[in-house]
Amino acid sequence: MTITETPKGSITVVALNGTLDASTAPELQKSPAITNASQTVVIDLEHVNFLDSSGLGALIGTLRKKRDMSAETLLSCMNDRIGQVFEITNAYRLFHIFDDTSAAVDYATQLIARR
Amino acid sequence: MKTLLAIREREYEWARQAFPSIHPLLLPLCNKPFTEFLIDFAILAGSSEIRLLSDGPLGEVKEYCETGNRWGVQLSYASMHAEDSFQDLIEKNRKFCGDDRIMIISGFSFISYDKQQGYAGSISLMPAGTCVSCPGGSISLTGDPETPSHHLPELQLKLQPLESVGSYYRISADTLENGAARYVLPGYGNEPGCAIGRNVVISKTAEIRTPVSIGNNVQILSGAVIGPGAIVGSNVIIDKESSIKNAVVLDNTYIGEHLEVNGRIASGNMLIDPRSGASIAMEDPHLLAGIRASGKPGKVARNAVHAVAAAILISLQLIPFLLLFPLLKLQGRWRSGTKTCLADIAGNSITLPTAEITGTGLAASLAAAISLDRLPLLTRVMTGQLAIIGSAPIIASGQTTGIPAGNPGYRPAVFGYAEAEEWPVNGSDAAIVERFYTVHSTPVKDIGMTIKALLNKLYEKNAA
Repeated sequence: MTITETPKGSITVVALNGTLDASTAPELQKSPAITNASQTVVIDLEHVNFLDSSGLGALIGTLRKKRDMSAETLLSCMNDRIGQVFEITNAYRLFHIFDDTSAAVDYATQLIARR
Repeated sequence: MKTLLAIREREYEWARQAFPSIHPLLLPLCNKPFTEFLIDFAILAGSSEIRLLSDGPLGEVKEYCETGNRWGVQLSYASMHAEDSFQDLIEKNRKFCGDDRIMIISGFSFISYDKQQGYAGSISLMPAGTCVSCPGGSISLTGDPETPSHHLPELQLKLQPLESVGSYYRISADTLENGAARYVLPGYGNEPGCAIGRNVVISKTAEIRTPVSIGNNVQILSGAVIGPGAIVGSNVIIDKESSIKNAVVLDNTYIGEHLEVNGRIASGNMLIDPRSGASIAMEDPHLLAGIRASGKPGKVARNAVHAVAAAILISLQLIPFLLLFPLLKLQGRWRSGTKTCLADIAGNSITLPTAEITGTGLAASLAAAISLDRLPLLTRVMTGQLAIIGSAPIIASGQTTGIPAGNPGYRPAVFGYAEAEEWPVNGSDAAIVERFYTVHSTPVKDIGMTIKALLNKLYEKNAA
């Protein structure tokens, strides 16, 4: 899996490409924008072709860690296959999910400004 | 123009309570699911793309409506949060909305439209803002009309809130009354006020009185009187000499012999009074009963594999148990008890033995590490009451109704999937991984997960 971090003002867009599963979830957890608990991130899932329970656990772990530090984790561009995992597990209730990354960045910027 | 249909879970919570076997967004209003009426209206209003948004589960709705091909539109789905404003919804669906005009239909309310009206023309002239509203629902537009008009057309439609069993009954009855003249309704009939679906068998001596609506796969036996004002769903049997008047019989219901259902809603074995909302569950299956789909064939194989795995585990744990149990009991470190848990999604309960190993010491640590506290539960796997791995049993309480923890695949088990996974566990997060595996697991995978759960307990104890 390749992870690309792109700063957009005070937000970092973390674009994932490949499979997010037990073997690649630790890579995500070690990426700088994710380890920095106070950094609000938008995780772009457009090119994630597979997500298993470990990958989902990594995303939820990130969300919990960041919320503890009053930061946010937003998700964008989820394809149908990944969306189905969020649907059956009810994990969609935890995240703000956008169909466009720039909209997610704008929303996150507003969230930070409101705090 | 595009349409966003935004319906919040709290708006239809009452429907989930009243009709637990039906997804509220698929609740039939005169033989047609609620969501279909919204889609029909969106099409009449000139939408080519529709997106359904909810903060609740949409799996069953997706399965039913699919991609919208049936209606000749593109239908997609997305999640939202209950507190999202219209602006938030547009932002979250920016790619879908693009630069088009957006009609937002919000709330669990029924749009009383007339298919003869040309809504596309009149809506295209309406300015941005709310066009129609009712308590808990509205139809709003974003963006300016392409051709501004000084003379605003009057929209011939109204919104009616679906807020209780009473309003549901009234709206269903109104829909039947106005019937095919206003709405696009399924079924065939050779006279006004009569719509009959496919595969309906009506006895020669049965009587059908209009207005009436009958779904698919229905059997009406001899001497039965259906109507006036009867709405009969699909997969229904009306037995001999029974009468259905001014009543709604929902899908998968059996109406026994010599029964008179007048001014009531029958759903499975529940009989509901729409005026008071009071319901009664009929215990006698010869009077009123639910017609269930046959169980999945994979269930038998899964139960067999789980039973074999439980037998192996019991045989492995038996000798350590016989050695350690008396010792721990004497030391007061083995505490036994019972707890009442939910047995299935129907809300039935089961009493399970519990064992707790407390304190430290070699015997206690060893017993906990090899999961001896689960041995009393393993015998229940052999009888099919528990799975070896699945959902952590949920304690039954008076308030617990419907699907446990929102998990339609709830299967109480000796070990939870969350124990097998290295998962950031708190109550709701554990439910997420359980839901994942209740869909994705196979009997063989279950054995692997059970071994993982056992090893995790062993490792945990060693690390401690």
